[in-house]
Amino acid sequence: MSQTLKKNALWLTAGLLATLSVSAQAQNLPRAQTLIVSGWQYDTPTSFNPVSPAQSAWPVGNTNSGTNVYELVYETLMTFNSASGKLEPLLATGYTQKGNVITVKMQPAAKWQDGKTLTAADVVYSFELGKREALSYSNLWDYVSSVKAPDAKTVVITLNPKKLNPGLVVNYLGQIVIVPQHIFAAVEKEKTPLAQFTNLKPVGSGPYKVSTYNAERVVAIRDDNYWGKSVWGLPAPKYILHPIFKGNDSANLALSQGNVDVSQSFIPEIWKLKDKGVGTWLSSEPYYLPGSIPLLVVNTTKKGLDNPLVRRAIAMSINYPLIAKTAMSNYSVPANASLLLPSGNEKTLFSAAEVKKNGWSYNPQGAVDILEKQLKAKKGGDGIYVLPDGTRLGPWKLAAPNGWTDWNQALSVVASSGKAVGIDLRTDFPQQSVWQTNLNTGDFDLALNGSTGVSAAGPWPRFQAAMDSRDTPKIGENAFSNYGRYSNPQVAPLLDKAAAATSAADQKNLYGQLDAIFQKDVPAIPLMYRPYEFYEFNTAHWTGFPTSADPYAAPQNAQAGIKMLYKIKPR
Amino acid sequence: MLRSLLKNSRFTFSAVLLLIIVLVGVIGPLIRRANPLFAVGGRYDRPDSKLWLGTDAIGNDVFLQLIHGIGNSLYIGLVAGVIATLIGVIIGLSAGYFGGLLDEVLMGMTNVFITIPTIVILVLLSVTLNSRSTVLLGVIIGVTSWPWTARAVRSQAASLRSREHVDVARLSGISTPRILMGEILPYMASYVVMAFVLQMSSGILNEAGLSLLGLGPDNSISLGKLLQGALQGEALRTGAYWAILPPTLILALISFALLMVQSSLDEYFNPRLRRNT
Repeated sequence: MSQTLKKNALWLTAGLLATLSVSAQAQNLPRAQTLIVSGWQYDTPTSFNPVSPAQSAWPVGNTNSGTNVYELVYETLMTFNSASGKLEPLLATGYTQKGNVITVKMQPAAKWQDGKTLTAADVVYSFELGKREALSYSNLWDYVSSVKAPDAKTVVITLNPKKLNPGLVVNYLGQIVIVPQHIFAAVEKEKTPLAQFTNLKPVGSGPYKVSTYNAERVVAIRDDNYWGKSVWGLPAPKYILHPIFKGNDSANLALSQGNVDVSQSFIPEIWKLKDKGVGTWLSSEPYYLPGSIPLLVVNTTKKGLDNPLVRRAIAMSINYPLIAKTAMSNYSVPANASLLLPSGNEKTLFSAAEVKKNGWSYNPQGAVDILEKQLKAKKGGDGIYVLPDGTRLGPWKLAAPNGWTDWNQALSVVASSGKAVGIDLRTDFPQQSVWQTNLNTGDFDLALNGSTGVSAAGPWPRFQAAMDSRDTPKIGENAFSNYGRYSNPQVAPLLDKAAAATSAADQKNLYGQLDAIFQKDVPAIPLMYRPYEFYEFNTAHWTGFPTSADPYAAPQNAQAGIKMLYKIKPR
Repeated sequence: MLRSLLKNSRFTFSAVLLLIIVLVGVIGPLIRRANPLFAVGGRYDRPDSKLWLGTDAIGNDVFLQLIHGIGNSLYIGLVAGVIATLIGVIIGLSAGYFGGLLDEVLMGMTNVFITIPTIVILVLLSVTLNSRSTVLLGVIIGVTSWPWTARAVRSQAASLRSREHVDVARLSGISTPRILMGEILPYMASYVVMAFVLQMSSGILNEAGLSLLGLGPDNSISLGKLLQGALQGEALRTGAYWAILPPTLILALISFALLMVQSSLDEYFNPRLRRNT
């Protein structure tokens, strides 16, 4: 007994220490010059390689991972503003498109943190890395014939006339992180596969460098020689500290106490924290702008889950209104059976009538009807259905990273929804890195994963990532999209047509056809809508954060959201 | 025996407390037969006349979950207690009675187990399993918690084996299993009962610890899983005390009651500890 008591006391003490350690960590750095952020890094950094498909830690992040392009250490040519849906200048001053040629003009002052000049050759090198190595943006080369540098400050991208997708290529200007050729080419020469290069002393072009990192925190320090000083000045915080929390709950507690200044965590009932100085983009419900659709990806290679009718029955068993009301704290409307966002830039493409006709909604009796009448499944003594071939419907694991509380709770609802119908679904919350690896290699049953959010390329990347099987490797090999290994030959030609479509009517028609296939085959199940990034701030130590009333920067920590760093002020 | 035990107010109080909790956990789910994993309201609805303890972060009835959770936690504790005590007694009895090489080997093994923190083995075992039922979780906790019982039983058995009545039994040609069961075990029965009570209590707390780490039983409710849900749903920060207090309180009460039962039994069996009651 005394052993157990001691053990429990240790756990409690550890918890208390974790909370106290945030303020202790901040004490080491001058608080007035330190911005504390959270919501990006949940375990010890092991790599700062932005082009590796494996997880790359904050403040570096991964190329082509949307919200994880932080623009702090490495930068992209353009940077995405999720509020306007447009790209803004960063390493480039802008771009023009004439026919099949996109011309990008570079910032004349751009240089690397080691003092070397950043030229168009570095851009060409970074883009071409995707051609030589299996990286997360390698599919760019399906849509591009060449990337050339006619002079040191100009990049010319020629589109592949056989596979036109100007939207996606332009989107990549805000996604592909430019890396220094003089460092990465040396690594390539050593024959180290770039995916394995950990790059623990990153040299980028951005306004911050990695200062220190360990299992408890990562610190970025401002580079006072940043090339952008002459263009937009220097960011206000000298240090950016990211404490490594084990989950949203401890991060949110720190935010509510003013020990975190900006957070990208799901924080339920945010309205209760107003008097503590906590705010977000909107000051009233729904508080956030819908920007992406977390998808429950189904592994279509697993027995039982390979049947679209089983997948449809699972989709119909899920209580979407309850997820919106509870797990999403009313920040979302109930999810529709569609890969299109029902609001914002995609509103014109979304058709509620088609969703009603071809899709699904929460309908447990409908799910039972599919199982019993269409699949002729019989309920076993344990209350779980068994298909005529003997396949029991579960146990199937519902995977999401541990501590991502909104996702964890949404999956708890999915598990109980499934059980109520007679499908054995069980939650499984491993560490984030394990979940990511399992997702890539296809070692999962059903996994919750963020889909591509609003982008400069419209909904195309989302449809491509969820449904395109052309570049999908086998189970066991690393996939960067279509993790469920879904395949339908009708998808590819429609995706290509949608990519090249320019008129609104054509786009609506083509995305409508793709959505109908999605609704019929159910390769993934939209669970809720979430903002492009969760964005919260506490004004206890820093003020002047962007809001819908003062929208000088996007409601983002990363990408175009870094503009806030130039306007916030210490209190 | 029971009459003199009942004279001990500490025993009576803790036994009645335990009985009430057990009754709630066993009979409660038979009366309230609804599925505790099925939502009945919104996020953290306040307690009212229908939902006595309100709802949790995903709209489940906290009271319903609590009565199911008590039953499952007690069940896990019971399984863990029985298994840990059984293994501990078998290993301790064999080592203590037979002595020699067997004693060396068994105690060497026990010492190795003692040096490895139980929580590490528990976590590793739980992670490797594809599915974790309540029984399986009880078994896992049981097979990792026996070493202390084995050590204590071994000392007692080693001392008992040289007692006269055991010698007499041996000389009368009674078989070893019968000696162990009839001449040794009854003399340490009081200790075994107390060890079981403690093992059960620690089993329940171990389940709570595992559940808090997200390694609790699948598709089932337990007190630990209720606490995990409350932590995940940030019940404390959002002021939903009804989701976090009841399971915490019940866990504390179960441990308290079991500890009190054990200490009053100890007092009863050990005259030197007996006060003037």
